[in-house]
Amino acid sequence: MKISAFWICIAVIFLGGLAFTEVATNEYYFTALYVILQATIMAIAWNILGGFTGYVNFGSAAFFAVGAYTAIALDKALGLPLPLLIVAAAVVCGLIGLGVGYLTLRLKGVYFAIATLAMAIVLETLVTNWTYVGGARGAYILTPENHLWFDSYIQMLFMLMLVLTLGSVAISRKLNSSRLGRGLAAIRDDEVAAECAGVPTLRLKLISTTVMGAMMGVAGAPYPFFVTFVDPVSAFNLFVAVNAIAMPMIGGTAHWIGPVIGALLVGSMQEIITVNVSSELNVLIVGVMLVLFISLAPQGIVGLVQKHVLRRRR
Amino acid sequence: MKIVRTIARILAILALMASGSALAQKPIKIGFSMALTGGLAGAGKAALIAMEIWRDDTNKNGGLLGRPVEFVYYDDATQPAKVPAIYTKLLEVDKVDLVVSSYGTNEIAPAMPIVMRKKLVFPSLFGLAVNDEFKYNRYFQIMPSGPEPKTDWSKGFFELAMAQNPKPKTIAIVSADAEFSLNAAGGARKNAQRLGMKIVYDKTYPPSTTDFTPIVRAIQATNPDIVYVGSYPPDSVGMVKAANEVGLAAKMFGGSMVGLQFAAIQKNLGPMLNGIINYDFWVPEPTLDFPGVKEFLAKYQDAAKGKGVDPLGHYLPPYAYAYLQVLGQSVQAVKSLDQAKLAAHMHKTTFDTVVGKVKFGSNGEWAKSRVLFVQFRDVQPNNLEQFAGPGKRIVLHPKEWKSGEIVYPYKK
Repeated sequence: MKISAFWICIAVIFLGGLAFTEVATNEYYFTALYVILQATIMAIAWNILGGFTGYVNFGSAAFFAVGAYTAIALDKALGLPLPLLIVAAAVVCGLIGLGVGYLTLRLKGVYFAIATLAMAIVLETLVTNWTYVGGARGAYILTPENHLWFDSYIQMLFMLMLVLTLGSVAISRKLNSSRLGRGLAAIRDDEVAAECAGVPTLRLKLISTTVMGAMMGVAGAPYPFFVTFVDPVSAFNLFVAVNAIAMPMIGGTAHWIGPVIGALLVGSMQEIITVNVSSELNVLIVGVMLVLFISLAPQGIVGLVQKHVLRRRR
Repeated sequence: MKIVRTIARILAILALMASGSALAQKPIKIGFSMALTGGLAGAGKAALIAMEIWRDDTNKNGGLLGRPVEFVYYDDATQPAKVPAIYTKLLEVDKVDLVVSSYGTNEIAPAMPIVMRKKLVFPSLFGLAVNDEFKYNRYFQIMPSGPEPKTDWSKGFFELAMAQNPKPKTIAIVSADAEFSLNAAGGARKNAQRLGMKIVYDKTYPPSTTDFTPIVRAIQATNPDIVYVGSYPPDSVGMVKAANEVGLAAKMFGGSMVGLQFAAIQKNLGPMLNGIINYDFWVPEPTLDFPGVKEFLAKYQDAAKGKGVDPLGHYLPPYAYAYLQVLGQSVQAVKSLDQAKLAAHMHKTTFDTVVGKVKFGSNGEWAKSRVLFVQFRDVQPNNLEQFAGPGKRIVLHPKEWKSGEIVYPYKK
């Protein structure tokens, strides 16, 4: 019964999105929602490793950028359609994620976090010197003419992003509530104890990093078609990584819904503040919110709600 | 008596209505995103000041089509990802009548698909060859880099070199690993190859480089006649300082160093700049004294005080004013906001602006390049005011704007 409620929700949101493309004529909403959904996938992906497994990844921007650049390279070389580019980005970033997974054999805690940051710098340097995809000059991607039955390309991108987000939510929920999720939680709580209790820690960590990488790649692949010009500085932007960490932290890292809530809340707020107040303030607000949540409500919004519900039950 | 008073009142009301009619009309909204925070904030803020001066000047003269001009703008934080949302909001929610671009290639390109879909004219501010990809016939770029921006950019530098006797034969090209500098170096490479020069050093360095002495030493070891540098402000400073420390012996040194146009950097480097030949777009030389530019700069320098932007504003601000002048003059000329008519007018007209006469070519770039090559001369230490007047940055190329002769070799 519970499962069907979830899937009904997913279906309703999907149909709602489709209906929205039919009803809304104002393209701004699609553009703004695209940005929010992209951030949501990034947050969900970060949370699979950072929240469920307890390994903090500072290199999210690298996975995102590699996704974007995989799309650029394959679009240039083979002119593949966007869905195939997304699949390719998922595979490439999944493999990088797998590599990062092996890092966890030797590195834990803060050392792992530093290693992911270093990986981002290494990958950025590689892309900067890879002239085929524009190198430091950046690459232009022209928006294709074909946008199926949608009124505009951005509507199609929005629907695509919605489908990808819903898919990510489903995967994250599955991971969280399955046997695998309990294994990940055990690793987060005490890796040595988990190993002693028979949890295959390495295998679980590898699954976790691979899924995280693939998901971030998926979020990055449509990005060149959204902005039409990508250069390493904007693709490997630290802000992407900061958002991917801040959103789950604010929403709550222990539950699959946490990053979704965090991303929707922070993402919408950022969009609203950017156009109504200023972009500078928007970064400040994310920072302040992050500090407040970490110090006052480390379990995030989900944690606060759970605490409240428990208290009422008593 | 009563009748007189009534008539006086009616007259007063009519007078008020007449005077207020321009302002009471619905304003013409011009929308744009601008880098007001982030990496390009210094330039973006200076551009905004210049644009606001244009808006106030225009409104003082009765606005456009008798309607006041209003700006709707958002900060893109120098993040290209923010640009698409900003332009769709400007067009769909704020319903602006006209749009212009943000500052810089990275911030201009993401707006292009949106602007193109709505078929709007798009005056743009300092984008390097953005339209090479989009080929949009309503794009008009104000930076005077010429019809083929990438190669036209450094043409003047090489023409200067070839005019020397004996002709320089070898060249070292060094550039930062980033968008503009790589394009500039690429153009220089093509020009050098076309002229049959021997490239003895051709390397890039990461933008985060802070110590340039090893780079300059490596260049010095190849003993080139010319050193062509493509760099961003922090590295331009580093490169000039290193060249002085090492005692670079090239005959010509300079090229496309961004930053040497900014007053604060000029003051900081002082006499180290002497002899360097670098690109510029406007300098206070008598040959470039276009109508209105001094008045504009006086207003700008007044407005810029205490805002942390370039205090002299020779580089970007006049062009930020001029790209709106082009738009404003077009609206007044075609007497409508019809985008097709505006575009047609902008293609065929030569505009009188504070940066001189502007004529666009078919690809929306200047029909003829006016990248100036200027040489620093007699620069004194720690003196900002010296750069406000003529004599410190002598225009060597193009010929029609030339204000003095070259000092060659570089360290004479």
